[in-house]
Amino acid sequence: MIDGQSTTAATLAAPHAFGRRTRRRRSPRPGSPPRGPRQPRRAWLAARVTPLTEFYQAGRLASALFMLTARGALTYWLWQALYRSTSTSAGLNVRQATTYAMLGVFYMSFRTVNRWGSRDTMTQHMLEGTIAYWFLRPVTPRRYYCIRATGELAYGACWAALAYGICLTAGVIAPPASAAAGLAALATVGLGLVILYYLQQLIDLACFWTVVNNQLVLMYEIVQNVLAGALVPLWFMPAWFVAFDGWLPFQGTLNIPLSLYVGRTPVSVLGRELAIQAAWIAVLAVLATLIWRRAAARVTVLGG
Amino acid sequence: MNIDGTIVAEALTKVFHTTARARGRLSAVRSVLRPERVAKTAVDAVGFRVEPGELVAFLGPNGAGKSTTIKMLTGILTPTSGRVEVNGLVPYRERIANARKVGAVFGQRSQLWWDLPARDSLSVLADIHGVGPQALRERIATFDRILELSEFWDTRARQLSLGQRVRCDLAAALIHDPAVLYLDEPTIGMDVVVKEQVREFLRDQVEQRGRTVVLTTHDMTEVERLAERVVLINHGRIAYDGDLDTLRRTHADALDEEADLEDVMRRAFGAGRTSPESPEPGTGSAQLNETQADRNTVTSAA
Repeated sequence: MIDGQSTTAATLAAPHAFGRRTRRRRSPRPGSPPRGPRQPRRAWLAARVTPLTEFYQAGRLASALFMLTARGALTYWLWQALYRSTSTSAGLNVRQATTYAMLGVFYMSFRTVNRWGSRDTMTQHMLEGTIAYWFLRPVTPRRYYCIRATGELAYGACWAALAYGICLTAGVIAPPASAAAGLAALATVGLGLVILYYLQQLIDLACFWTVVNNQLVLMYEIVQNVLAGALVPLWFMPAWFVAFDGWLPFQGTLNIPLSLYVGRTPVSVLGRELAIQAAWIAVLAVLATLIWRRAAARVTVLGG
Repeated sequence: MNIDGTIVAEALTKVFHTTARARGRLSAVRSVLRPERVAKTAVDAVGFRVEPGELVAFLGPNGAGKSTTIKMLTGILTPTSGRVEVNGLVPYRERIANARKVGAVFGQRSQLWWDLPARDSLSVLADIHGVGPQALRERIATFDRILELSEFWDTRARQLSLGQRVRCDLAAALIHDPAVLYLDEPTIGMDVVVKEQVREFLRDQVEQRGRTVVLTTHDMTEVERLAERVVLINHGRIAYDGDLDTLRRTHADALDEEADLEDVMRRAFGAGRTSPESPEPGTGSAQLNETQADRNTVTSAA
């Protein structure tokens, strides 16, 4: 390595000196051993990429706000209208059903970021050959993907929390059925997001074989929204559909946490629900690990 | 022995398998039902050695195998066979350790995030590479001296001109102070002024910093200004490995006195049929067998 070739103090003091916005690290205490070069183990700054991308463009923020408001309002009016002629349907009253549906909308805002405009989808990295750089960094592509997804989820969580807070304060949605139900919902939301992360990752990994995964993403979106109960709560579905869905990971992403929240599922079954989610996470994690390994061995860079 | 900056390739081969489109009636259906797999050898038993602090230019027609060779050296592609070692590491097996010691710019492919100012991209990349704020400031100040990055590093990557973006990408590739730098057609599409700026920067990196640089280019001016050693690759094989003067002398008889490097290259690739055996690395031994008939089958390097 070619360390130690530093510039002069005069150069560093230049008005354009880079990194003036970065936080200064504390100097080591007297007598303490000299600090070595920082080990590139974390690389969490990459989690900021998606939020920064959004914040640098007011249009994107406005669009996210509009979409969330429009979806929320339409969902509210739809469920109010559906319950106009009845007070209870499939065991739930209008407030519970509306709360479930609205929370479903907020939950979907976790995936509100559209990376296409930033040329940052897996398909675009494959098509443009920039996937090469993922393999030229001292963090594995898998870890980099995880860091980016975490930043994206954190950004989406801010929108979801904001919308939830406003709607709860305004009385549009109900608070959790009980404090225990609220905590149970929170725990299962966390695991649900991990399942969602792995499912999305598997769809993205398909690009290493198919290059383009746009159609796959569209199919996945439909399947995910239907089987997770985001479009229509699962209790409105036929028994065979619910039984079939029980063998798949999708309901763990949304139906389980929201059913706990509105009191449709009793908190007493929390252990079973967590076990189902954990089992799916384990299966998907192993699958993702194997596929990453295969993908890393067969990566090609298009375009010479 | 310090092995940082050393590149060794022995009998390096890469075969790609693709699906060939069937011909004749119902070809589309047959391609789906029974696809025909075709093997294409992009790099065929290539061997060479690059010493620390050396700048080597890989030259060859489009599709000759230059970029594939570089991608195997970087560790992105796994060779089908052969041996490759960079900084004492096998790049495709030890990708993380390798990534700490190499940097790369692949033509117009940018590793900057499209909607972030270049400054932010560089900070994120520095963090990924574990470069502390002080070291980052120092390195960027050094790059800024020649590449004049501060004029545009607060601009989002999507709004940068090609030349500005490539200059930022050069900084990104060197942010972690690697011993080896790979550049795959870095100045393609740039204007003369920026090209000269990039060349000056590369010269500085080699002469002052002692970095090993492997470069592919179609720009003969760049080759003349920068590279003492050139490796000609054609049809996936090394056709010549040595210095420019020897290459010129090899073809002196067939060219007039005013012939420039571009003519030499045209002659080399046009007349050159690669020998089945790779030449001794760095010896300048020309493997350019005179076969007039081959002239028309090979694209010019220019």
